[in-house]
Amino acid sequence: MSLPEPVTTMASPFRMDYTYVAGVGRSVFLRGLAERRLLARRCPGCAQVYLPPPEFCSRCLSELEAPFELDGLGAVSTFCVVNFPFPGQTIEPPYVVAYIQVHGAGTRLMHLVREVEPERVRIGMAVEPVWAPDDQLTTSLKSIQHFRPVRGADA
Amino acid sequence: MRDTAVVSYAQSPCLAANRRDDMADILLPVIRAAVDAVGIERDEIDFYASGSHDFFEGRTFAYIESLDAVGAWPPISESHVEMDAAWAFAEAWSWLQLGQGDIALVYGIGRGSLPQDLDQVMPAQLDPYFLAPLRPHRDAVAGLQACAAIDAGLTSEQHMAEIVSRCLASATENPYAQTSGQVSVHDLLAAPYVSSPLRKHDVSPPGDAAAVVVLAAGDAARRLTARPAWVRAVDHRMDTHYPGMRDLTSSGSTRIAAGRAADLAGFAAADVEVAELHTEYSHQEPLLAMALGLNGAEINPSGGPLAGRPATATGLVRIGEAARQILDGRAGRTLAHATNGPALQHNLVCLLEGAA
Ligand SMILES: [Zn+2]
Repeated sequence: MSLPEPVTTMASPFRMDYTYVAGVGRSVFLRGLAERRLLARRCPGCAQVYLPPPEFCSRCLSELEAPFELDGLGAVSTFCVVNFPFPGQTIEPPYVVAYIQVHGAGTRLMHLVREVEPERVRIGMAVEPVWAPDDQLTTSLKSIQHFRPVRGADA
Repeated sequence: MRDTAVVSYAQSPCLAANRRDDMADILLPVIRAAVDAVGIERDEIDFYASGSHDFFEGRTFAYIESLDAVGAWPPISESHVEMDAAWAFAEAWSWLQLGQGDIALVYGIGRGSLPQDLDQVMPAQLDPYFLAPLRPHRDAVAGLQACAAIDAGLTSEQHMAEIVSRCLASATENPYAQTSGQVSVHDLLAAPYVSSPLRKHDVSPPGDAAAVVVLAAGDAARRLTARPAWVRAVDHRMDTHYPGMRDLTSSGSTRIAAGRAADLAGFAAADVEVAELHTEYSHQEPLLAMALGLNGAEINPSGGPLAGRPATATGLVRIGEAARQILDGRAGRTLAHATNGPALQHNLVCLLEGAA
């Protein structure tokens, strides 16, 4: 007599809800986004400019200086084209995900580059933020819908 | 064995919920305090080891955020355990035993307050096929253990309330305790059950905090502090994963770890004056005291976990507190115990001594 077929799958779904604590530094940045402001902070020790800024410099461990605003103009520092579909995707592929070197910042911001054909995106391309409409502004990077090429700039 | 000692210890206050500071912000002042106390610079530290757990943080590789407080620029020797930081301490101690460096910094950071409901999270640590699907709530397995411990005559609800009363009174002297006070056994026994026979006070209160221990070997330890807390032994043992396979009333893994530690140290748990035990629940104190073979040691003079249980830092706090007894010249020999997993599944024993 043979044994029955073994059990090979077992569903045991978990759901876990969490509180995110942004900290003092990143809260400054997130609150700025809700006001269409990109707030950066500079390290008094090494002059590194953080965007988004934490509370202290991870190199010097010094508290960062007071926040100041950047206009958001920048350049694509690297990018990739997302070509595949996946669960939870909100944008139809293909689309461009990029590192944006915002002028005045020492760190790079990750965001979408749209309003341009993916094959036309280049490293070094001048880009600007497209802010969400007033009623969609929030303490999240979703306050910037995406970056797009600066009109008239050399692509 | 290479002589290695705890030379410094610091922690942040245990808070039920810290909604102001991110991981690095909680940790930075604690590292500063521990390092400044022995007058060293960051570049004198040869090794960093830390403990935290993504399931408490709700993010993958969450501990990377804490590295911002370390000043983690290459070259750096750095390691992390996804569990209580007492095991990061064990790793750092082993690393120093290998002679790769002289000074190690160990930190634990944990935020029990980030999961909006620990009942969603804690079943994930259980056997995934035969136990987790039942979704026992966070204190259910401990309730089974407490019930069995009472039935075996190891404790009673009255005795458990006495333990809690004593710990909360001791914690009034501890500025970092999450909860403390003079509470009568009578009042405690009037409280409702949360997981019979456990009442709310029998369950250590989860919260947020960071702890930092600085370890140093040989002459470096002697140079950094007048009275190093020499780590004479560290051992840890684990019981089987499925609680149903265990006798919950005796902690075999603690007993074995204590025996091995005694062999290594040349003295036993019975010889220590102070024991800091990782009692997540009040009924575990007599259970651990028996498994360790304590003989009249003062237990949890800091108030212990029943006065505050910062996730994944609580075990390291026990080591820090046990070491502090020696650093401050209040005890000659102490013991620290740490645990991980449900109902004392995995247990670590550390024996410390003042004399060089
Ligand atoms: Zn800096």
